Amino acid sequence: MNSAIPRQTGEQDPACYVYGVVSDSAPEPAAAQGVGDPPAPVVLVRHRGVAALVSEVDPTAALGSPADLRAHANVLDTVAQHAPTLPFRFGGVVRDVQAVTDELLDPFGDTFAAALEDLGDRAQFAVRGEYRQGAVLQEILAARPDIAKLNEQTKELSEEAGHYQRVQLGEMVAREMAARQQEDTSALIERLAPLTAAASANGVSADLAVDAAFLVDSGRRREFEAAVEELAHDWAGRIDLRLLGPLAPYDFVADLIEQAGGGP
Amino acid sequence: MARPSPSGLVDVVDLILDKGLVIDAYVRVSLVGIELLTIDVRVVVASVDTYLRFAEAVNRLDLKQDPEKGLPDLIQDMQEGGAKKKTTGALEGVGDTVGNMIDRVRGHGDDEDDDLTDEDEDEDEDEEDQEDEEDEQEEVEEEPARRPARRRAPAQRKRRER
Repeated sequence: MNSAIPRQTGEQDPACYVYGVVSDSAPEPAAAQGVGDPPAPVVLVRHRGVAALVSEVDPTAALGSPADLRAHANVLDTVAQHAPTLPFRFGGVVRDVQAVTDELLDPFGDTFAAALEDLGDRAQFAVRGEYRQGAVLQEILAARPDIAKLNEQTKELSEEAGHYQRVQLGEMVAREMAARQQEDTSALIERLAPLTAAASANGVSADLAVDAAFLVDSGRRREFEAAVEELAHDWAGRIDLRLLGPLAPYDFVADLIEQAGGGP
Repeated sequence: MARPSPSGLVDVVDLILDKGLVIDAYVRVSLVGIELLTIDVRVVVASVDTYLRFAEAVNRLDLKQDPEKGLPDLIQDMQEGGAKKKTTGALEGVGDTVGNMIDRVRGHGDDEDDDLTDEDEDEDEDEEDQEDEEDEQEEVEEEPARRPARRRAPAQRKRRER
């Protein structure tokens, strides 16, 4: 990369954006477009049996546009379909290719290789779901007479007079909903985890009913997908599920490195 | 069940901003600090504003017991009043997702008309200058009549500079 077109004085050399690490036998990500504007092609930097997925970026330009975010994920998810991939978090930029070799691949190559071997042909799937507003609120009213009663009371009150009670009502509803999120996420994990190599639940957020990630062996992928379908069917009208994947193992890569025993 | 492909921006953000290996931990000498414009997509559950919207939703829900007015009408009502939305794909039918009651910060569609005045507790941060991006998975449901404005903060974070 240093051998590129000569640049005017003052202009900075391109830096090296790092997406992730693969085995050096992974295919070149020929079609992948990187982050930045304009995006540069993504290439492999090979060293000691592993390879970093990188592309040139302008170190003076900010990154983080929707196109950048999508490009980062797209590069990793695409490569992960063909070869085990260790994804890096968005935004990692190193001075040049030499630094990628010297500071990343050389000292940590063995760890990466071990983690890639452990990962094998597993891929991550994410299962997320949102409540149907009407259905979940009806459930809450039916299950909690105290909430239903407060609901009746606040309906009668003007906006000013009922402010405090409405805040209280909303808080009770929010708490009840959070309890349901935990319950539903546990049910999701309980049902799907036995079909997977690893499972990880994300914390409750205000807008998702369930949110969990799974590491799935390629041989069990169909079985896993069928189980998610079945769950989506069981929850129809109540929770709208969506299945993302196969993805790079974003939720599991830290554990893989830890198990490989040679992280930084 | 929806299998969005490619994933919506919301889903991408959740995966790549908080997860994955952190290069800073590996590369120490030659790390280049660059400016990252990122979206903070966390929605704070515990805020008065959120509670009020839950309350409103549940208050309205009760009208459903009026045989003249079923849920579809209610959803319709909620979508009226200057409501503007943008939705396709997995989140089709925004009117009946919980996300509708709370700030749908994750959306950052063409809602240029937001006020910037409100300091509510929601962590509503949106990107600047990204409005042109086509995001099939995001939607923004505006109910200007009764809802405090979203705070739009350009979430610019300077990463370490070296």
